[in-house]
Amino acid sequence: MSNLTLKNLKKSYGAVEVIKGVDLAITPGEFVVFVGPSGCGKSTLLRMIAGLEVVTSGTIEIADRDVTQLEPYDRGIAMVFQSYALYPHMTVAENMGFALRLAGHAKPERRKAVEEAARILQIGHLLDRKPAQLSGGQRQRVAIGRSIVRQPDVFLFDEPLSNLDAELRVQTRIEIARLHQTLDTTMIYVTHDQTEAMTLADRIVVLRGGIIEQVGAPTDLYDDPDNAFVAGFIGSPAMNFLPCVAASANEVTVAGLTIALPQLQTQLRQGESMKMGIRPEHLNGTNGPSVAMKIDVVEQLGATAFVHGMLGGDLPLLVEARAMRPKAGDMINVPFDPQHVFLFDANGDRIR
Amino acid sequence: MAVNSKKERRGMWAAAVPMFLLALTCLYPIYFALNNALKDNRGYILDRFGMVSDPNFENFVTAWGRARFSEYFMNSVITTVGAVFVLLLVSSMAGFALAVLRFPHRKLVFVLILGALMIPVQVILVPFYQTIIATGLLNTRTGLIISYTAFFLPFSIYLMTAFYAGIPRDLTEAARIDGARFFQVWWYVMLPMGKPALLTLGILNTLYCWNDVLISLLVLQNERTLMVGITALRGEYTTNVPLLAAGIVLAAAPIVIIYLLFQRHIVAGIAAGAVKG
Repeated sequence: MSNLTLKNLKKSYGAVEVIKGVDLAITPGEFVVFVGPSGCGKSTLLRMIAGLEVVTSGTIEIADRDVTQLEPYDRGIAMVFQSYALYPHMTVAENMGFALRLAGHAKPERRKAVEEAARILQIGHLLDRKPAQLSGGQRQRVAIGRSIVRQPDVFLFDEPLSNLDAELRVQTRIEIARLHQTLDTTMIYVTHDQTEAMTLADRIVVLRGGIIEQVGAPTDLYDDPDNAFVAGFIGSPAMNFLPCVAASANEVTVAGLTIALPQLQTQLRQGESMKMGIRPEHLNGTNGPSVAMKIDVVEQLGATAFVHGMLGGDLPLLVEARAMRPKAGDMINVPFDPQHVFLFDANGDRIR
Repeated sequence: MAVNSKKERRGMWAAAVPMFLLALTCLYPIYFALNNALKDNRGYILDRFGMVSDPNFENFVTAWGRARFSEYFMNSVITTVGAVFVLLLVSSMAGFALAVLRFPHRKLVFVLILGALMIPVQVILVPFYQTIIATGLLNTRTGLIISYTAFFLPFSIYLMTAFYAGIPRDLTEAARIDGARFFQVWWYVMLPMGKPALLTLGILNTLYCWNDVLISLLVLQNERTLMVGITALRGEYTTNVPLLAAGIVLAAAPIVIIYLLFQRHIVAGIAAGAVKG
C-alpha cells in the first residue's frame, strides 16, 4: 500500500513548458484517472511518474519516498502501454515473468507468480504462446498480467483501451475496474475518453495545457464543475453553452427568456455578459421555463434521442429527449429546471 | 503475378532474355572452374572447353596438401568468423545506442559513420598499412580481424541503426520498467529482436571477409588467407590451370553453400538497408 504525491511538478522541452506546476496527492488504493484533450500533458505526466521522462523541477514521492531522480525500476511502479509493448520473441509466460527474472527470482517462484496472475486474468491457457499468436484483447490482458506479477505499489495505465474495438473496450474496462477491487492497489489511468474516466475513477484529474483544471470524484465534476472547460469535457454528450446577460442580481436573460436563479450565492452585476451552461439531459423537464427550438437533426438511440436544433435561429442547442419521437423540421418547446443551470464568467470560471 | 495479355507476355520474354544472358555470365565461370578442376594438366591442354571425360580429384588433394590450402583455409575461417562475430556484436550495440538512446551529438556521430561508408578502401591503403605496422598488428590474425571490422563496420552500424529505429520505443521503456538495466535492455530485448538483421549482416559480412584479397594481402604477408593463397598457384611463366581451378572451387564452395542456404535473407537485408534509414 502506498500513496503518491506530486509537488509543483514541471516539465519543459527546451523553451516549451508542457507541465506547468502540478500538485497532487493520491491516497493508497485510489483509482485516479488523468483526462484531458490531446496535448494536455496527461501522458507526459504519467511518464514522469514512471521515470521515463526527466523531471525539470518539482518532486515525485511514492510510498513516502522521493523517487524523482530514481530509475523506473526503483520506483515500485508497473506500467501498461497503449501498444501493449510485449516482447515479441518471448512467450506469454516469459513476458509476464521477465521482471522477476531480472530481479533474480528462481524459476519455480516465477512460474507460480505468473500462474497466479494468469488465473486472475483468465489467460492460463495462453502462457506458452507468443504475442503474435494472440488477439488484441488477449495481448492487453497479458500486458496487464505482466504488471500484476511485479506486485507494484502503483499501477500506471497509458490509454490501455485505445487499440481495442468498441465492444472489447467496454468489457476490458469492466475487468480493469474488477481488478482494482481485487488488488486494491493505487492505479493511475490516462485517457482522453471521459466515459472511461467517469466509469473507472475514484477521482478524476482534468488537465488542460499542462495544468490541473479540477480534481474530484466523477459525480462532483459532473454536478459541480469549477469552470466551463471541465463542464464541457465531463458528461456525454457535452454541455450546451449559451450566451446570456445578467438581468438582475439573480436573474439572467438567455435567448429572450429571463430566468430566476435562486441558487446563486453571488450577486450578479446587471448587464454583465456571461455564459450559461445546461446539460442536454436536463433539457427535458416537464415544467419550468421553456425555450422554443427548431429541430435540425435527430439522432435516435431507441430509449433516448439526441435532438440538435437552433434557438432563435443562430444558437445551437442539443437536447436529450426521452419518450418522444421528434422529427427534423418540427418546432418543440424545451422546458428545463433552472436548478440545473450553471453560470460562467467571461474567463470561463464558474459563478456559484 | 498473373500474366494475362499477349503484350505483357512479350514484355516478360523481352526481360527474360537479357537476364538469362546475365545469369550465364555468372554461371559459366563456375562451370569452367569445376569442369577443369576435375581434369589433369594434360587433359586441360588438349581440350580446355570440353566436358571432362575421366574426372579425378587429384587436384583437390594436391591443392589441399602440397599447396598448403589447409593452412590458408584455417586462416580464412578464423579471421572471417572472428571478424563477423566482432562486427555483429559492435554493430548491434552501436545500432541500439544510435537508434534508441538519446545522447548529445547523436546525429553527428551517425553522419560521421555514414561518411565512412563513402570512403573506398583503396584510398586509405597507405595510412592503413602504416597504422597496422605501427600497432604491431602486421602478420597477425588479430590484425586482420580488426581491419575487417573497421572496414565493414560503417555499413553494419547503418543497417542495425535503421533496423532498430523501426522497433517501437515502448519495448525498451517496458524493459526499463521491468527492471532491465541499460546493458540488459540490449541483451534481453534488442539483441534477440535484431536477429533478422543480424542474420543478414552475418551472411553479408561473411561474404565480404571470405572473398577479400586486398586487405588480407596487406595485413597477412607471411601467412595467407585462402583468396590470397589461390594467387600463389599461378606460376611466373606457366600456370597449372586445373590445380588453380581446384583451389578456386575449394575456396568458393563454403561461400556458395552459405549463399544458397540463406539467399532469401541476403536479398531481404539489402532491401532493408535500401528502404529504411
